[in-house]
Amino acid sequence: MNKEFKVLARPYMVWLSILVFVPILAMILISISNLNSSVSVGDLVISFSHFKLLLESSTLIAFRNSLFFATLTTLFSFVLGYFIAYEIKLSRFKNKFILLTIVILPMWSNLILRTESLANIMSENNILKSILGFNLFGNISGTGAAVLFGLVFTYMPFMILSVYTALEKIDFALEEAALDLGLSPIKKFWKVVFPLSLKGVVTGSIMVFLPTLAGFAIPKILSRGRIVFIGTIIENKFVYTNYNHGALLAVVILFFILGSILLLTKFDKEGETLL
Amino acid sequence: MENKKPLIELKNISKSYDDETVVNDVNLTIYENEFLTLLGPSGCGKTTILRMIAGFIKPEAGEIIINGKIFNDLPPYARPIHTVFQKYALFPHLNVIDNVAFGLNNRSWEYLESFFGKDKIEKEAKELGDVSKKTVIRKAIKNLIYKDSEQALKLVKLEGFKKRKVDQLSGGQQQRVALARALVNKPQILLLDEPLAALDLKLRQNMQYELKEMQRNLGITFLFVTHDQEEAMTMSDRIVVMKEGVIQQLGSPKSIYNEPINRYVANFIGETNIIKGTYVKKDVVNFLGVDFKCMGYTFNDNEEVDVVIRPEDFDVVDVEKAKLVGEVVFSLFKGVHNEYEVLVKNEKLLVHTYESYEVGQPIGLTIDPYEIHMMKVEVSE
Amino acid sequence: MEKQRATLKDYGYRDFTVMNKIYQILKKFLVVFIIFGLYISIIVIAIQSLNESRIISEFTRLSFKWYGNIFQEEELMQAIKNTFLVSGIATVLATFLGTFFAIGLYALSKKVRVIWMLLNNVPILNADIVTGFSLMLMFRLLMVVFPNIFGLFTLVMAHLFFTIPYVVLSVMPKLKETDPNLMDAALDLGVRPYKALIKVVIPAIKAGIFSGMLLALTMSIDDFVISYFNTGAGFDNLSIWIYAVIGRRNLTPSVYAFSTLLTLFTLLGLLIYSFLQKQKKGRKNEKNNINGRAS
Repeated sequence: MNKEFKVLARPYMVWLSILVFVPILAMILISISNLNSSVSVGDLVISFSHFKLLLESSTLIAFRNSLFFATLTTLFSFVLGYFIAYEIKLSRFKNKFILLTIVILPMWSNLILRTESLANIMSENNILKSILGFNLFGNISGTGAAVLFGLVFTYMPFMILSVYTALEKIDFALEEAALDLGLSPIKKFWKVVFPLSLKGVVTGSIMVFLPTLAGFAIPKILSRGRIVFIGTIIENKFVYTNYNHGALLAVVILFFILGSILLLTKFDKEGETLL
Repeated sequence: MENKKPLIELKNISKSYDDETVVNDVNLTIYENEFLTLLGPSGCGKTTILRMIAGFIKPEAGEIIINGKIFNDLPPYARPIHTVFQKYALFPHLNVIDNVAFGLNNRSWEYLESFFGKDKIEKEAKELGDVSKKTVIRKAIKNLIYKDSEQALKLVKLEGFKKRKVDQLSGGQQQRVALARALVNKPQILLLDEPLAALDLKLRQNMQYELKEMQRNLGITFLFVTHDQEEAMTMSDRIVVMKEGVIQQLGSPKSIYNEPINRYVANFIGETNIIKGTYVKKDVVNFLGVDFKCMGYTFNDNEEVDVVIRPEDFDVVDVEKAKLVGEVVFSLFKGVHNEYEVLVKNEKLLVHTYESYEVGQPIGLTIDPYEIHMMKVEVSE
Repeated sequence: MEKQRATLKDYGYRDFTVMNKIYQILKKFLVVFIIFGLYISIIVIAIQSLNESRIISEFTRLSFKWYGNIFQEEELMQAIKNTFLVSGIATVLATFLGTFFAIGLYALSKKVRVIWMLLNNVPILNADIVTGFSLMLMFRLLMVVFPNIFGLFTLVMAHLFFTIPYVVLSVMPKLKETDPNLMDAALDLGVRPYKALIKVVIPAIKAGIFSGMLLALTMSIDDFVISYFNTGAGFDNLSIWIYAVIGRRNLTPSVYAFSTLLTLFTLLGLLIYSFLQKQKKGRKNEKNNINGRAS
């Protein structure tokens, strides 16, 4: 490409530099100072007093909940999502685009509305019960199972897409070569197909893990406020304009994200499986 | 040929895709320790036959018999056959040595025990420690796998490339790794699906020579698929010429070149002249208005025949001594020899000779009786 | 002589036929379960939209009245308008800017490009809550200068921040695929660089631009978290509005009607798209056949 077009990237470099770093620096600053929307910059005092929040049991429980559900959601999405992605790849149906569309179509519907509907049919008296005559979900309203179900089926499409992208790129001749060299189909999967799709698994896992870890709307709606995630606390701090505490917790989440990005760049250097 | 053991027998094999018959009632016997080439243009069914023997495609009709057993229903992984694929199909997540060891690394312990033999394993295990321990035996087997793999790499002249990543190799080197990966398993039969097609000319010629050497030294049956007649000529013990799913001719390179069975084979194998003629009587054939002595063919007296003469089989002589006299209408210098188009009685003949002639010059030709080949006239559709 | 058939056992392999059959049955259950999990909420939304009663726990009678009511619900209409306004502006700008940014990044040396692509991926990979919260904090600090900054402006800025990267990410692979000589050929023919860019490069990457645009629109329309933190002055988009109303427990079933309509339109659009795609392929094949015969 013509080197002259480098200038086209310049505004974006400025834009990214400002919008990636300034908000994060502001966030870090607010988390370690008395700076609030009401305080003027002149009286700035650096203090680590907000860090007490991190040791409060409610915060610790919230962190534990977030990590626990994010891990479980990633695990379930991986098992079920990989299975579906692999079946789509194996399918003799020629138009893979339609099969993928079936899987991601629900994502085009409003997330909050979907979650609310799910919460509705998980409660004791619900519209499905009035039609079917029995409770499809038993009585899991407000439980961890309800939250897990909602999270898994909300974020699984990301897993399916990235795993499928990775699977599609595997040369079929490699699978034939494995069979030719004496590997049974099961062994072929574990020794050739799975290792070569690992990139997609890592990308998919991160795309499921992070929004689950940092989410607040789905757990709040499906647990009916009973299970507190770290995101739930941040939202509360936001509503009650306690920005210092909110910023501090967001910084902690940021560290998890940085770790994930490092992991991802190890497996997928140019972000090929990101889309 | 008679005392050789048949290894693969194809009996009445057929296969079609969407009403199009790709392989049509093929019968073929492949013997132990031979280099057999399936030759034909793309779409003639040669690759389909190869893939049926490998087990990737099931034949619709007929039997594939290997070592005297019917193999139709056996999946590819259970067959004692390995393939070198056209685009090599090396595993990108493994380095060179692990690619070579891949097949053996994934076999069951029982298989490996009989593959290496008890004595060899125990000898290796003694150096490692307690022979009665399972872990020691297994360690010994793993050692043997890597020793064999290194040996295979040595065979293809890539000793120094053990730890390389596959994508850091050139096409020719990848080709060699693919070869080593198949050979290390000691297959009875090695299938090669146009393995040289992606290499450049010089490299291809080297590999042809090396492949032939390897086959001779290892005593493995090679079944080679190509569309390149020169390649087939150089390497094969026997060649199968195919067209539209049907075997046209089966024989040694020499016999196929010199005695093509029909126009298709004659044209496909090198440049040639096909001239209409008449088999006058025993050992006499008439073409271009002249009677020639011939030998070794029997037809009905006065039957129409197609006469085949290779361009290098013409002898260029003085016009006075010549049986055929023509005029040079086109000349091309080809390095070793000159190529001429000679017009004789309105028939253009292709002649190769070391002598030099100018365009427009008269030229005299004779042909030795044993250089005259004849084919039955085909009934054209 | 009758030949013997080779068996898997002869060659040291177990016969997986039975296991395979069990897996086939298990597979069907699993597929049904997953499709159920993915679609149950959409189906429920559709059922709720067809329920005559406003009470969502009981299905009384089939009725389409909520579909007619969509336009009468003022708050809902306002939320819908806001959503389309924000997403419309953000998508158009992101597609336009993202395309040129991607071309610019592609012109950089590979080493530099990798760094900026990493930065480009930050808004995609970063958790919405961190992006939303930190952007909110930055805008708050700007309030000292612009007191009424929160509202449409902050929303569009925030949406641009996370939609441009998607456009860049979908255009980049197409740029890599284009023939590097394409530009040179155009320049060689005397076309000026920027004209060549528009006449030659843009058409070559238009599939990437289109998919980037779709992705940007999808992400923007469905966004809740980032919008939630960065809106103000009552400028609610659909997600924020629904989230707020759920708390008050009196969501109008017209929302369900609207959502169902939107899903149906999306489905229709996708069907038309795949149909057109198929036709295009068909036409291409025909063309190839004609060329094949001619040559």
